[in-house]
Amino acid sequence: MFMVDLLQWWYFRGWGVFFSGLKTKLGDTADLFSIGDMFRTLFKPFRQISAGASGSEALDAKMAQFFDRLISRIVGMFARLTIILAGTVVLILELIFGTILMILWPVVPLLPVCGIVLMIMGVTF
Amino acid sequence: MEEMNFNYNSLRARNARRGKVFGKPSMLFVMTLVLIVSAIGGVTLIVMRMAVGWICISLAVIVLMIIYWTKKELITVPVNERRGINGLLSNDVLGAMPRNPHVKDLPAVIAKTNSGKFLHVRYGISKQLLEEVASMLPPEVGPIFQTAKKIQEGTNSEEIHGAILATSILANYPNSEMLLKQMRLEMVDILDGIVWFNYLNGLVRNMNIHRHTGGIGRDLSFGYIPTLQRFGQNISVVGKGAMRTQLHLSEHKEILAKMTEIFSNNGRQNVALVGPDGSGRATIVNAFAEYLMDADSKLPERLKYRQIFRLDAGAILSAGAERGQTEALVMRILGEAYAAKNIIIWLENAELFFEDGTGSVDISNVLLPVLEGGRMRMILTMDRQRFLEISAKKPALANALNKIMVTPANEEETMKVMQDQVPVLEYSHKVSYTIWALKEAYRLSERYVHDLEMPGRALALLDASGAYANQYKLVTAESVQKAIEKTAGVKMQQTATADDKARLLNMEDLIHTRMIDQVQAVKTVSDALRRSAAGVRNEKRPIGTFLFLGPTGVGKTELAKAVSEVYFEGEKNIVRVDLNEFVRAEDVARLIADGAEDSMSLTAQVSKQPFAVVLLDEIEKAHPQVLTTLLQMLDEGILRDSKGREISFRDTIVIATSNAGAEKIREYVNNGVSLDSVKDDFMNWLMSTEMFKPEFLNRFDEVCLFKPLSPADCLAVLDLLIAGVNKTLAPQKIGVVLNQDAKELLVQRGYDPQLGARPMKRIVQKTVENIVAKAMLAGQAGSGMTITVTREMIESELGQ
Repeated sequence: MFMVDLLQWWYFRGWGVFFSGLKTKLGDTADLFSIGDMFRTLFKPFRQISAGASGSEALDAKMAQFFDRLISRIVGMFARLTIILAGTVVLILELIFGTILMILWPVVPLLPVCGIVLMIMGVTF
Repeated sequence: MEEMNFNYNSLRARNARRGKVFGKPSMLFVMTLVLIVSAIGGVTLIVMRMAVGWICISLAVIVLMIIYWTKKELITVPVNERRGINGLLSNDVLGAMPRNPHVKDLPAVIAKTNSGKFLHVRYGISKQLLEEVASMLPPEVGPIFQTAKKIQEGTNSEEIHGAILATSILANYPNSEMLLKQMRLEMVDILDGIVWFNYLNGLVRNMNIHRHTGGIGRDLSFGYIPTLQRFGQNISVVGKGAMRTQLHLSEHKEILAKMTEIFSNNGRQNVALVGPDGSGRATIVNAFAEYLMDADSKLPERLKYRQIFRLDAGAILSAGAERGQTEALVMRILGEAYAAKNIIIWLENAELFFEDGTGSVDISNVLLPVLEGGRMRMILTMDRQRFLEISAKKPALANALNKIMVTPANEEETMKVMQDQVPVLEYSHKVSYTIWALKEAYRLSERYVHDLEMPGRALALLDASGAYANQYKLVTAESVQKAIEKTAGVKMQQTATADDKARLLNMEDLIHTRMIDQVQAVKTVSDALRRSAAGVRNEKRPIGTFLFLGPTGVGKTELAKAVSEVYFEGEKNIVRVDLNEFVRAEDVARLIADGAEDSMSLTAQVSKQPFAVVLLDEIEKAHPQVLTTLLQMLDEGILRDSKGREISFRDTIVIATSNAGAEKIREYVNNGVSLDSVKDDFMNWLMSTEMFKPEFLNRFDEVCLFKPLSPADCLAVLDLLIAGVNKTLAPQKIGVVLNQDAKELLVQRGYDPQLGARPMKRIVQKTVENIVAKAMLAGQAGSGMTITVTREMIESELGQ
């Protein structure tokens, strides 16, 4: 009865539980790497350098601020792209790993049987 | 009815029992160990060309499946409402249920569940009690399950857990109401306990859910804030596993919504939360901070991930030695916060920044333009009284702020807030709180804690009570009483002991050991106090309110002192106010002055000594405005001090004395009329003279008329005075006795119909005490001797 209940759960509710767990995990990873926010703020200045300037300075000061901000935006863009890239790689890896496990899920209960067969066959490496 | 039959072999029941075995941490550890050893061992054996390694791998796979099953299903068997009672019973109940349960089996099952233990510890619903009740019920569990289902629906519980089953057993017992009353509980309290358990259970479950707070790149678009980080504290940083700040008050939720609206719109970006200390201003700000950091909330983009920094006024003031430096520092902090674009500045106790004083500095010339500009996001929290004072001085400040009033919580809301905070307090004190502790904390803090408002005042007392848990680490009502005694300096009265009851029953005799005659007045007061002690009194009024009327020196003040000694076990428990010092309307301010300004004001004295006789002497001389102020005290047992705090007089005995109508009383007595028979006439006469307004006289429980003392009474007073002299001389083992003719002479000389017994005291001092002093100095009186005072000695002392 024990194994019947375990297998029944494994092929019905268990599969669903694993799938929703995978979804939650992907959501957590997306949040960890702030992927949505990184895209939304891709060209914003990095750490608001020169953001506090009042705008009443002389032309050369304004030019300096403009270039500061431009550099800040470029730095910010690269920093964000790096995070997006890292996050995307992790997400893709998780997705691939998760999908493989999802596909292998129904096979897992068969592995012990395979193991016994392999032992009887005397397969080794 | 069929759905109420318990099926021992249902899938949920089977899984619950499995979960009980496999879900134990020790079992999970062993299984994990087996998994690792089998996997590594299996691979090693296969590599070593031993095919038996496949068996180890197979074992590892099976163990892995069981571990996953246990964690995802067996530990928390999900509810299945379609399966009747078998789908609704909680995991721990199912796991402990026997094959064919009877009602008598349920207490043991309940005792094994978390909710059953919760009800036992906090409400005293023990296994033994449930067993006793269960033994008186029919053995079938069907009716219990049916009632449990109703309770589950009524309390919006997800499942039927042990506490619901326990409540169901009690509800099926016909005399449950009486049983619970003996425990000072009602059924509604237990139902409230179920809701409390569900709430705490939910908190524990939510702690394990990962919060989305923006991730590692969240703050990349926002500026650096080194100065702000030095002088402020980021309250938006929430530790992993920390419990979320809950807002239980509907008003607080509305305030949160209003704050969101203000900061989302284009108007002035500031909010001033104005309310008394303890009303939950800081809790609202903390909840707002968490809300802003919640990635899953539906906040506008311009508010999401904004962080709230609390400015540390003390650190800022100590960093800027001079005013100019402080202002420059504040400007730098605000500039940084503005440039960073994700900061909301919180000025907690904002009054510290708007007025000069100890630990505060007035930098309104810097802050006011910022607030008026409205671009810098700021939250100010301020005490209501201080806000009014500052607004009066700086009207521009009040106009620049989006003011939101925070009002104190009511009893129901305060109980919910306390229930919410109990896990935090239990964790810090390593104790458990009972429901009676919570109720007592509300009751006592309402009466005796004046510097905070609800729910803060009840929480503060509950926190302090943690240190007074009993030997079982339980915080009970007694723990709370001890805490209030220590923290507020309030001596709690215990009136239930046999000694106390005897004292109350013999009150007249005890009073007459120190007081002569006035039998009627003593009886009236004693009867009233006995009624009060027996619980036949309005809890929302003082214990007793009495007006003593009569000539000078007849024992009015003495009776007040005697009442204090007998009722409060000490003559020192008396708060005396001479109302002849309150003859002007302006004197009302002195009467109700804050303790910090005048420690001798009536309100300050009673807040320090709430169990006392309040003696209001010579009340007829007080200004009518003063008497009007006292009306609320007589009527509702409370008086507001100059700070607007309610001071409780509900544990006091208020005694007002007056000489008003003394001549009239004397006239009655001289004409041989009993004062009791003319009391109504006298009162009507008194009202007609307009000395007291009828509404004032009617506020007293009893008006006692004191008759003038006769020469015979004065003789008895003299005996009391001589007894007093003997008491003083007792340490020196010297006694004094007076001959009868000496006594008669003293009464003859000391008796004054106008001044009563008062001259007697003076003449005893002048004669008897002088005689004793001289004898002692002359060596004629020593230890173990008794001095006999004769008429001749008195005459000699009086110069005759």
